[in-house]
Amino acid sequence: MEIAFELRDITKLFAGTVALEHVSISVNRGEVHGLIGKNGAGKSTLVNILSGIIGPSMGEIHVNGHVFRHLTPHLAKKHKISIITQEPQTMNECTVAENLYMPMYGGAKGWIDWGKIENDTRETLEKAGFSIDPKQKARDLTVSEKQLMLVIKACYVEDADVVIMDEVSASLSKRDEHVLYDIIKERAAAGKTIIFISHHTAELLKVCDRVSVLRNGRCVGCYRCDELDMEKLARLIVGTESFSVSEAADKRHMVSDEVIFRLDGYTRYGKFRDVTLELHRGEILGLAGLRGSGRTEIMKCVVGADRPDGGKVMVGGSEKRYASPSQSLSDGVLYLPEEREREGLIGISSIKKNITISIMDMLSHWGIIKSKKENQRAGELISLLRIKAFSPDQEIHQLSGGNKQKVLVGKIMARTPVVSLLDEPTRGVDIQAKESILHSINEGMREGGGVLITSPSVDDLIKICDRILVLFEGEIIDVFDRGEFSEQAIYQAMQGERIHGAGECA
Amino acid sequence: MRKRARIELMVLDNVVWLLLVLFYLFNAAFTPNFTKMQNMVNILYQTTSISLLVLGQGIVMMVGELDLSIDSTLAFAPGVAVIVAAAGGEMNPALAIALTLLVGAGVGLLNGVFVAKVKANSFLFTLSTEIAMRGLVLFLIPFSIAGLHPAFSYLGRGKLGMVPVAVIAVLVIYAIFEFVFRKTVFGRKFLLTGGNRQAAFISGIDTDKVMIWSFVIAGVLAAVAGLVTAGRQNAVSNVMGKDMVMMAFAAAILGGCSFNGGLGKPIGMLGGALLLGMIDNSLNLLGVNVNLVSATKGALIFIAIVLDRVKTQLTAQILYRENVFKLKAGGGDGET
Repeated sequence: MEIAFELRDITKLFAGTVALEHVSISVNRGEVHGLIGKNGAGKSTLVNILSGIIGPSMGEIHVNGHVFRHLTPHLAKKHKISIITQEPQTMNECTVAENLYMPMYGGAKGWIDWGKIENDTRETLEKAGFSIDPKQKARDLTVSEKQLMLVIKACYVEDADVVIMDEVSASLSKRDEHVLYDIIKERAAAGKTIIFISHHTAELLKVCDRVSVLRNGRCVGCYRCDELDMEKLARLIVGTESFSVSEAADKRHMVSDEVIFRLDGYTRYGKFRDVTLELHRGEILGLAGLRGSGRTEIMKCVVGADRPDGGKVMVGGSEKRYASPSQSLSDGVLYLPEEREREGLIGISSIKKNITISIMDMLSHWGIIKSKKENQRAGELISLLRIKAFSPDQEIHQLSGGNKQKVLVGKIMARTPVVSLLDEPTRGVDIQAKESILHSINEGMREGGGVLITSPSVDDLIKICDRILVLFEGEIIDVFDRGEFSEQAIYQAMQGERIHGAGECA
Repeated sequence: MRKRARIELMVLDNVVWLLLVLFYLFNAAFTPNFTKMQNMVNILYQTTSISLLVLGQGIVMMVGELDLSIDSTLAFAPGVAVIVAAAGGEMNPALAIALTLLVGAGVGLLNGVFVAKVKANSFLFTLSTEIAMRGLVLFLIPFSIAGLHPAFSYLGRGKLGMVPVAVIAVLVIYAIFEFVFRKTVFGRKFLLTGGNRQAAFISGIDTDKVMIWSFVIAGVLAAVAGLVTAGRQNAVSNVMGKDMVMMAFAAAILGGCSFNGGLGKPIGMLGGALLLGMIDNSLNLLGVNVNLVSATKGALIFIAIVLDRVKTQLTAQILYRENVFKLKAGGGDGET
């Protein structure tokens, strides 16, 4: 069989961490090759190297008989490698036809034959079995349609030999999903190669010929799909060694019967629907779900950063409707955003000012901030969380990712919230920082009230949660108690498989 | 961080004082009569109006916006106030002063609400109010209204001993704002909002309110600058403040503010205003042609805009160099 490309012994170092370690993958022409692994396993890094967006630290890329130390996006295009990213990148004010044919405009020199481009677009869309109007502007398309449009561009207009689909199906509707599967089948038959990344094991097994599994930056192996089933694949992804569950102390005795936070039929159309959950005093409740399952949106709606369409929020027994986070703050309902740089921290301000941002009212008298009190409180949290900095007045953007994340946690802890909504508090940090953050949450955040926490990795949740709810496509479909935690079972539930019976969910 | 980097960052943060000292020494050597006490007081006195505008502009820039309307407010607020207060014949000075401040606040409120709530682009929106207000002033006051009530012009003309009241007032106002931004919850929110509006919002700061406040403060300060200017010439003229906004903007940047928001201290803004006043004064004493003075001012705005970018890039470079050094030394902080 002819080889489409080969990655040999690829290693990628980012400042301080190893993203990929000696990964070798060889993919044949006409093959649909799956790539799966937990968040941070190195999937995106790998395909970014293949598409020339970043260069590897070591290793070789073999394409069409050429050997490269690293590719550039330009070289990748030249060798007919195209990538479709998670978030569709489109020119919103341009038509579908122009989006498909820019920037080459069908090889036009000097002038553009719009009539031809439109006709070609119509033909291409028809061939792909996708019915949208070529003259429609991209901004009028749904996210799903935009994504599919880009797939068609890579597959038919650019006619790429290797098409990388980075979690493309995550934003597709059911109908568009089938169009995608048909396109993939047709392309593979035509001798093209597809690299297909997905978190959904069932989908991967259905679509792919072979699957490579990544774990902690290493390639665990490459398997033929007809030799796998979902359970086996889930085991490969999770790995057996990480079954050593919960080094963190079991604190279930701290959970009281008092319900301090409750969602009732909480709904935002297109994001989550009919979510009902109860959080007890002293409890840490996990919310497991893939990206796009609605976990972030639920938290944002609760604190008033977004608007829900229906349902009730009860805090301490009374119904609340917060119009903005400044209102939820006064009730002690705090949100730790998943996007640290964009929504979490103020980069050009000091550690101290970031930590005290939500407690300024508590540190002041007649509106004047007591610097002694502020320094003391910030100092306490800096040493509690072991934030490494030479001074509390050091600016945030000088810190490492792990320390930034600790500041973010410190900012929430400063207020001892009644309800803490923590959205991926361990995102993008190394193991040491992760352990320390999880420890702080487990030890320090139960006193004030309850904690609702999400994490991209199930093993984090297993360590500190008392209960884990599983969110799938905006609905709570399963619940696990601490006694029956199993990373594999929860991972399967996140894919939409109900492990427990239907009516059992809280 | 190594000592060298710390010194470099400190110089970048306080570049205005460095320039001020250099310029002072330069003028002391070459410009006749420059260092005389009377001239120093003169500089301070001539700088009063612009320094109030600089403070207003600087505060709006702290939250990451711009206000181009302040130089029109400077004429519009006292203009409307004097006309209304003198409508019954004799002018009531207390009413006129109160009205001036109120009109200033009103204009600021209008700007602030449209920028914060309607999400209008602040540059363009305040440009529109600037043009509209200047037009109204030219319509309402064909040339100028002279012979103001002494109480109304006291702020601009009065003296305590040797020192003009306006100078004292400006210093007091700057001191108050320095305290507000250093010590109070209210003041702290401005830089936090400017540093990262979304993060400040999520953290429970009412960022819309902070933005509206910044424009209201800028409007009131522009109105006070109007009182000073009118008092100094004992008349409200229709060209007061014309073309001052770009200078206020240049001084704010020289004084440590940034286009991106999240930076700035009143004390630095005062430095920026003084630098501007000193340059103006020395060009005057040297007898430079008026049109060349105007060209020089244009060059100054140019320098300020470039300086803003260069400073950001240099700061980033210094920090990057330090990080690389730390990583190479192997220590780091063990995390990324």
